[in-house]
Amino acid sequence: MTIQIPYAAALAAIASGSAPPVRSDDLPVETLLARFHPDHGPRARVPLRIGANAGDACHPELARLLESNALIDDLDLARATPLATDVLVIGGGGAGAAAAVTAARQGARVIIAGKLRIGDSNTVMAEGGIQAAVGAEDSLQRHFDDTVRGGHGRGEHMLIAQMVRDAPDVIRWLIDLGMAFDLSQDKALGQTLVRKRAGGTTAARILCHRDFTGLEMMRVLREAVELQGGIEQFMRCPAVELLSHEDGSCAGAVLYDLERRSFLLVRANAVVLATGGSGRLHLQGFPTSNHYGATADGLVLAYRLGARMRDLDSFQYHPTGVAWPRHLAGGLISEAARSAGAVLLNGLGERFVDELQPRDVVAAAILRECAEQRGIMRDGETGVFLDVRGALAARPDLLERDLVSLGHLAAKCGLDPRTEPFLIYPTLHYQNGGIEIDGDGATAVPGLFCAGEVTGGIHGRNRLMGNALLDIISFGRRAGARAAEARPPHAPGRGGLSHVHRWRRELARAGLPADLRAPQLYPTYGNFALRRGTTDRGNP
Amino acid sequence: MRETVHLTIDGCEVAADPTQSILQAYARSGAELTANVGCLGQGVCGSCRCLIRKDQERQVSTALACETRVEAGMQVSFIDHFLPAHVHRYDLSDIRDSWGLLGQIRAVFPEAAYCRHCSGCDRACPKGLPVQSGVASAVAGDLAAAAAVFDPCVMCNLCTLACPENIRPNHLGLFVRRAIAALTLRPVDLMRRLRDIETGAMTVEGPQPATASGEPAEG
Repeated sequence: MTIQIPYAAALAAIASGSAPPVRSDDLPVETLLARFHPDHGPRARVPLRIGANAGDACHPELARLLESNALIDDLDLARATPLATDVLVIGGGGAGAAAAVTAARQGARVIIAGKLRIGDSNTVMAEGGIQAAVGAEDSLQRHFDDTVRGGHGRGEHMLIAQMVRDAPDVIRWLIDLGMAFDLSQDKALGQTLVRKRAGGTTAARILCHRDFTGLEMMRVLREAVELQGGIEQFMRCPAVELLSHEDGSCAGAVLYDLERRSFLLVRANAVVLATGGSGRLHLQGFPTSNHYGATADGLVLAYRLGARMRDLDSFQYHPTGVAWPRHLAGGLISEAARSAGAVLLNGLGERFVDELQPRDVVAAAILRECAEQRGIMRDGETGVFLDVRGALAARPDLLERDLVSLGHLAAKCGLDPRTEPFLIYPTLHYQNGGIEIDGDGATAVPGLFCAGEVTGGIHGRNRLMGNALLDIISFGRRAGARAAEARPPHAPGRGGLSHVHRWRRELARAGLPADLRAPQLYPTYGNFALRRGTTDRGNP
Repeated sequence: MRETVHLTIDGCEVAADPTQSILQAYARSGAELTANVGCLGQGVCGSCRCLIRKDQERQVSTALACETRVEAGMQVSFIDHFLPAHVHRYDLSDIRDSWGLLGQIRAVFPEAAYCRHCSGCDRACPKGLPVQSGVASAVAGDLAAAAAVFDPCVMCNLCTLACPENIRPNHLGLFVRRAIAALTLRPVDLMRRLRDIETGAMTVEGPQPATASGEPAEG
């Protein structure tokens, strides 16, 4: 293990309270990322061997799941309870909820299914806010340019342009649903929105509800789903496989009802896959800020049915995850803290990076400090300091008004942010890549739509703060609207597992094992086995 | 080696590191974890509701298992989620006449006026919110005060479970907050930008080619 600077010595280095010195050994960004970002290096990627992206780079642990066998067989279908609907939404986070509400309002019968409850998702955990270019000095163009640049020029321009154009109307849609946003001036018909800065942006563009914007969004969306006529909820019903027609189009999905321990066969004219990301795979052993359910299920299901993916070797490590105390490791300290003036300090008490650079740059800079033994060690945990003392001295009311969650977190850590810094370390935060979509969330598979973190192409290879909450509502609404227009297929039959049969032949041809099964559905420490008494699941 | 504490979770004896949360200890005990779990420590999703009786105490309290550390001799039971039969239904878009809002609140949540002030909701709230006074404010028409009470609510529904009058206090609070936002939030900067887009005064002009990858933004 790398030697770090002991906590006490690091505290002593910042005790004076004067402005911290700044290190002057900056590396060029490309070099910094290449040497220290987890997306680089020998363990970061392998070529996929089968499927629509054969030959493309993918994270090895994700590749293992993508190249796995299905959890179910024809026999399971034969005894499944049959159901039918117009639109099946899989995933109960912000993207799924937005799709379900939109489709139902257009008159479609909707089933929304999730492995936990509606609302149990990364959306509810989002703190910072949502981007929309509403400032007088700001523009759609600047939002577009920042997003393209933030994604290292690898994002899909058409999707980004459409999303930034959607953004103001997304905010209006959310307000009409009853979501509140912070106001900087509150005079009758002269209100203006509070706008915060995000790393990697050229204008203050983050709209927020304090520092629990995602909670505010999700509780409003959940209530909207529950009260909207035409939506049936299937909670604790993970999707274990998609259904296909003979022509390869999507025919619905097979759900597993955890309460009854039985399968449901849901036929649908269209499926909206909104299952989120993959942080709970703990890639490369990193802690994660993600929700319990983030196990890449949607990627596995869509890939097996033939959908194309992109950037499967690109992940976002949020710079400021909790490093100490251990039981909170991986939990997030919102970028709102740095936006409000918090600084990063190494064990020598030095600043080593502009805190408001894009997340991958800041995370790589932190990993560099730790790799070069300027990190801090406390009770066996390694990290650097996130120091909010100066920001709080300048604005004593920050914790009451703008950084409420930060205050709660400090209490859980047992420290006073006015006098003591947090120990932080990068945490696996976001899946930059995913399923390829068009502007309506349509995939290469007819009848299969996707929205939210499960998709790729919008954020290129690095997402900006506040663009995830925008993405899920912008594309969730569009996918829901298009899915609602889908007509019943002309193909006869109720849909089946013909794609799984084809997939198994591909597995055999490539010499891949048939006993590795996915989607994983729950993290390994969830101790879940689809069939009791057996261990035929993705992650033994 | 760290010390170990023993406690009971859903009837199972569990040995745990005292620095762990109840939820972490439960997962590490080998129990199947497919419900009553969510954000794992942030305390925002309200999924991991549980009843706790501490060693040598008679009092049972409610808590979120991800936010609460294990203690020796603790007895913990998770409270499963279910959809209640009794739901207050409304369509926010029906409330266009903001002069009638007080009447709408009474019409949608008629039970709120019959609060028997048992404080069950206050005791049930794992966030320590003054739920009962929030309900009283909503009934009295002091909507700003009601909205402030429920602003940090994570919708765990424990107050709904605790209320003998079926008031569903957290849903009443959310109704008030949603109505206020939908009826009064009209930021002019947003209105201007929506008009810019509608009239075509602002567009995204021919997406510019990306600059050198990785180049950070100014400032």
